[in-house]
Amino acid sequence: MKKYLIATTFLAGIGAAGFALADDDDCNVAMSNWQPREAVKAMAEAKGWSVRRIKTDDGCYEIDGRDAQGREIEVKVDPGTLAIVEMEYEDDDDDDDYGKSGRKAAPVGTLAPPDNGLFTPGSKPVVKQ
Amino acid sequence: MKTLLCALALSTALSGPALAAPVTFTTNLSNYGGDGAYLALYVTDASGAYMGSLWMAGGKAKYYTHLTDWHRATGGDTAEINGITGASVGAGRQLNITLDLSDALFDAGYELHIDAAVEDMRDSPSEVVVPLTRAGANTPVKGRRYIRDFTYGM
Repeated sequence: MKKYLIATTFLAGIGAAGFALADDDDCNVAMSNWQPREAVKAMAEAKGWSVRRIKTDDGCYEIDGRDAQGREIEVKVDPGTLAIVEMEYEDDDDDDDYGKSGRKAAPVGTLAPPDNGLFTPGSKPVVKQ
Repeated sequence: MKTLLCALALSTALSGPALAAPVTFTTNLSNYGGDGAYLALYVTDASGAYMGSLWMAGGKAKYYTHLTDWHRATGGDTAEINGITGASVGAGRQLNITLDLSDALFDAGYELHIDAAVEDMRDSPSEVVVPLTRAGANTPVKGRRYIRDFTYGM
């Protein structure tokens, strides 16, 4: 927590251009307007996610689990609207930035493209980076 | 090799007229001297209307606002890139994606866009815009800021 505060102060201090402020994704909803955990669980399951844990962090709900393709996810959710504030995949760098490089490519053969009419149904992207 | 030939013969026999084709998109980044780039690859029709996304390099939704054209078209809806999201791409590195795409996308006025963004550096929406044509395949296109060149091949 202390490290987080120091990082926030530092970034605010140097006026980091754009979006680097660490509390960008905090939620700010009065407790009386929070939806129950069951609603968060139902929202996650409706998206095909399996939920391992729901906790609160930075004023948001945070869901730990797996998405419909089985990838580890960590999703911050607005506790009032249940809108997704931030979604992270396990294969992202864990720093609070863009990621230092493309060292960790998306897993090959475990992805399924959305049904947007561009892809052949049932096909899987192959990624090398 | 033999397996490949067999598979090819089988698929040719089964499919008749081609309705889909694997297309390889190769994006080489320049050495811009910054952190990993977020890249959104998406398709618009001839009038510029968003049709759908092909790939998102970079997993944190809070940065998607910096892929400005993509974000304007989609409202940042992560359902658009569910299952087609991977890691960001480092400076000087290559992203190579092979996708099985509908044949109807080519020679029909569609365009592929790539938005790029890098932490603490300028956003670069529609850094690459290239018409999807069979004649244009395998021809490298230069980017403006972070992308050294981009090629799609069939």
